[in-house]
Amino acid sequence: MTNFDALQTAVLKGNRNDVKDIVQQAIDNQEDINAILDQGMIPAMREIGDRFSRNEAYVPELLIAARAMQAGLTLLEPLIAASGRKTMGKVAVGTVKGDLHDIGKNLVAIMLKGAGYDVIDLGVNCDVGKFEEAVAQGANVLACSSLLTTTMPYMKEVVEHFKGRKVKIIIGGAPVTQDYADEIGADGYSEDANGAVKLVDKIFKEA
Amino acid sequence: MSELTGKERISRQLKHLPVDRIGASEAFWQYTMRNWENQGKVPPNTCPIEHFGLDILLCAPCDMKIHPQVPDQIISEDEDTVSMLDGNGATLRRHKKHDATPEHIDFSIKERKQWLELAKPFLTADAATRLNKEAYRNARQRAAEKGLFFCWVGTNVFELMHPICGHENLLLGMALDPEWIEDMVNIYSELVLQLQQELFAAEGPPDGIWYWEDMGFRGRPFMSPDMYRELIMPAHRKTIDYAHSLGLPVIMHSCGFIEPLLPYMVEAGIDALQAIEIKAGMDLLRIDKQFGEKIALIGGLDVRPIANNDLPGIKRELESKIPIVKKNRGFILHSDHSIPESTEYETYLYFKETGLKLGTY
Repeated sequence: MTNFDALQTAVLKGNRNDVKDIVQQAIDNQEDINAILDQGMIPAMREIGDRFSRNEAYVPELLIAARAMQAGLTLLEPLIAASGRKTMGKVAVGTVKGDLHDIGKNLVAIMLKGAGYDVIDLGVNCDVGKFEEAVAQGANVLACSSLLTTTMPYMKEVVEHFKGRKVKIIIGGAPVTQDYADEIGADGYSEDANGAVKLVDKIFKEA
Repeated sequence: MSELTGKERISRQLKHLPVDRIGASEAFWQYTMRNWENQGKVPPNTCPIEHFGLDILLCAPCDMKIHPQVPDQIISEDEDTVSMLDGNGATLRRHKKHDATPEHIDFSIKERKQWLELAKPFLTADAATRLNKEAYRNARQRAAEKGLFFCWVGTNVFELMHPICGHENLLLGMALDPEWIEDMVNIYSELVLQLQQELFAAEGPPDGIWYWEDMGFRGRPFMSPDMYRELIMPAHRKTIDYAHSLGLPVIMHSCGFIEPLLPYMVEAGIDALQAIEIKAGMDLLRIDKQFGEKIALIGGLDVRPIANNDLPGIKRELESKIPIVKKNRGFILHSDHSIPESTEYETYLYFKETGLKLGTY
């Protein structure tokens, strides 16, 4: 029987070797894949996200937790595919056209993946065509990031491009505000990576 | 009080002594000046500090790359961007049409082993390749002639480390291999001090030291206060102590939200904090209340109304802050980052003139 508390602690502390050992043992014991994810790794990543929001954890702690989780996921991935586990949803993240900043966007991608979402990382300098490709690949939510006041208006172009379609657009980044999200008709705004996860949770729950 | 020179004004403000008016300083994105040149608002190759009558002149005379003076090599290029390999072994992608921090694509150094092989042996204080004494000499002389407060400007350790290995590897290293980070911090802080010693002995000291040290992003610093105290603060203390030993005040710039680190930066000895980025969550009035008697504050005025040429918004921003923060005598007019290319020439003039009118004692 897998000790899920120990697995959660290993992820929270960013102890990659412990995560690998516990996950491998769980696989050897033919533990339910869903339990390993839903009772072990995903709650730990959500907890580190909450700590991040409360300023009890910072980026280094977030990065080592994500790295530890990835080590476990690498072992699980072939089994996840075979198990037919249903994805929580597919989200594409990208920094908008004209903007080459990626730290905030990367944190959002890490947190969404840690929370169990299927993430398409579109990178930086993304035009509507790139977001359109992600939708073609099944993305239900597009998360647009911008660090610059000069590139922020491109978010409006993305929102208008997808207007009337089923895909939801959420936005974030240093100059972006809830007021701006309302003004351009975005479906949501978050001020940090963990908030983006909660926002995506809400969107999929309401869908 | 009769009108002070920029040097007199800033020197006094950094000690919270009475002045005629608050000082003025600013950074302009390259394309902003180019736009104004193209519009005929300023002559070609104008120094904005002299043109606008600002008080602080900066000179960055040190090349801190692993391989100094090595030109960037173009790796690839498209309509909008160009990717280059720089003297730090980093591949960066820059936008062609506007100024901004480049995208970090890849780094030759990702962990301690590569640092030891590819960087550490080359980080020596070779004045011939690392110091531009002529630029420093000329800027120092020009500042003296114009009565400006002259600052040596360069990067401190955090901003020296991430360009060689990237934020992600650096922050992972801080958590997983702190001894590696300590080694980098020591090497870089020593290098900074050796180059300053050589330069100041040869050409004379500046009026102050200005360190670029971006340690935050929106809503939080990159690291916890504990991690700052353990890994970064010793280098800050060392480099600041050296400046103070020469009687030079230290201004530290940081973008992003760094309020949780500020008590320790003050403890490390900074004389002034610059940028105070509102959109990242920094609050000039809150910081002034907590630290305004201990350190000077430069910036903290929201650049967004300036970027939007929103004159009523600029007026509101200035009127809501300057009458309060000028009371500690250490406030210096500056946007909370840099003046972006969307800003009209007349807008910046309005910002500066309205700010200084409100800041006159």
